[in-house]
Amino acid sequence: MRILGFVISPLAALAVGIFFLGLTRRFMARTQWRYGPPLYQPLIDMLRFFTQKSVSHGAIFDLGVILSLAGSLVVVLFLPFGRICPLQGSGGLLVVLYLMLLAPLGLALSAGEAANPNSSIGISRMFALALGYEVPLLLIVLAAMTRYDTISIVEIVAAQRAAVPNLATFPLVLSGIAYLLILPALLGLRPFDVAQAPQEISSGPLAELGGRYLALAQIQNALSLFIGISLFVNLMWGGASNPLVFFLKMLVVFAFGLWISASFPRLRVEQAVRYLWRWPTLLAFVGLLLVVVIRR
Amino acid sequence: MDRNQLVKWLQAPAKMAHKYSLHAVYFCTGCGIIEVPPTITARWDAERFGVIPTATPRHANLFLITGYVSLKTLRAIIRTYEQMPEPKFSVGFGSCPINGGMYYDSYNTIKHLDRYMPIDGYIAGCMPRPEAIFVAVTHLWTLIDKDMADGYKRYRRYYAQYRANQERVLGRLEWPPLFPAGGDA
Repeated sequence: MRILGFVISPLAALAVGIFFLGLTRRFMARTQWRYGPPLYQPLIDMLRFFTQKSVSHGAIFDLGVILSLAGSLVVVLFLPFGRICPLQGSGGLLVVLYLMLLAPLGLALSAGEAANPNSSIGISRMFALALGYEVPLLLIVLAAMTRYDTISIVEIVAAQRAAVPNLATFPLVLSGIAYLLILPALLGLRPFDVAQAPQEISSGPLAELGGRYLALAQIQNALSLFIGISLFVNLMWGGASNPLVFFLKMLVVFAFGLWISASFPRLRVEQAVRYLWRWPTLLAFVGLLLVVVIRR
Repeated sequence: MDRNQLVKWLQAPAKMAHKYSLHAVYFCTGCGIIEVPPTITARWDAERFGVIPTATPRHANLFLITGYVSLKTLRAIIRTYEQMPEPKFSVGFGSCPINGGMYYDSYNTIKHLDRYMPIDGYIAGCMPRPEAIFVAVTHLWTLIDKDMADGYKRYRRYYAQYRANQERVLGRLEWPPLFPAGGDA
């Protein structure tokens, strides 16, 4: 059963992530009073990318893309999807936080090898933004770990399911709101898509990726959507006992992210970091303080 | 449109994917670029058919040259075309890439773009309406179906001639030949 989980978990994450990619394009189209592409358009695109001749810029270029995809795949193994969680005994949240940095790092490596100035600008923007959302994210995760006295995501989910919703769970509400505030930045959606701004720096880190490299980067993008939302549902919204309910919860959270994304224009880098270090950080910090005070 | 016919997808998945995922680089040379924003936004919504603009030639497989081509832009157009991954399709938009259009007697404008890079199809008119882009896309689908959109193969086969033409008008090119001499790599 556990071996099966190693197969099912990444596949489920891929399916959900690619569905979310299609949903994004459809949602944006409907918001702008267009019909938009079919939901399976990302699959068509990936099929085309895979069948196109691709240009490599060197060994590090190849390895960087693979590293970023592998990092995301490993993170997925640590996140419970309903009851499916192949690596539940080991590491938990600390490992997830640590491995989440592999994906941007891999992209940075490959973009550095490609030596495209747009990619370099995109990478520097990506890490500036990561600096912005990592601070509130760490505070939020710290609050969850302190509240439930464990670093295991499975135990956090179990504790939330055992607890009756009452004022004692109140402190994590603030952390949850803070998470929702940084969610678009975490997923790289519109107000915070500074790293991949196509109109300014021609897709940034992806500028030199063509053919199957682009397809791998798209898959990684789909997985990162899954990771960001799955972390929220597990930590703040009690997870779920079966994958279907979990998927529905993820859908609600992602719809919120898309709504934000469709409503606001892109921020500049310094505006984004200023925002991220102000309101979400403040809320997450107060949330952490409340957790500590209530535990006393 | 046969996007929903599963049998065709199973028979030739790559061909169908190339048909219904046309990511376009618009080369904004002349007035033709005016027609592109309405095409890709709410009024005509080209994304219904999988046609979206991309920002970099590495992601694209459709190249639209929208307007007259001066000597200076020809250099950039050739480099952009060579950076696109194969299979790639190029479409000349408006009458200027066809025969010079209203710039037929200009000293600084290319009259026949297909002497310098292969063109899979033209949209005639000055200016063509956005509907013409959709007509061109459906024609391109037919061409891809029949394996007739083979501009990138022609570029390989006749690269020596194309390169000679390019060097004749541009002088020395600062990038090495894309394919080894003799073509057909």
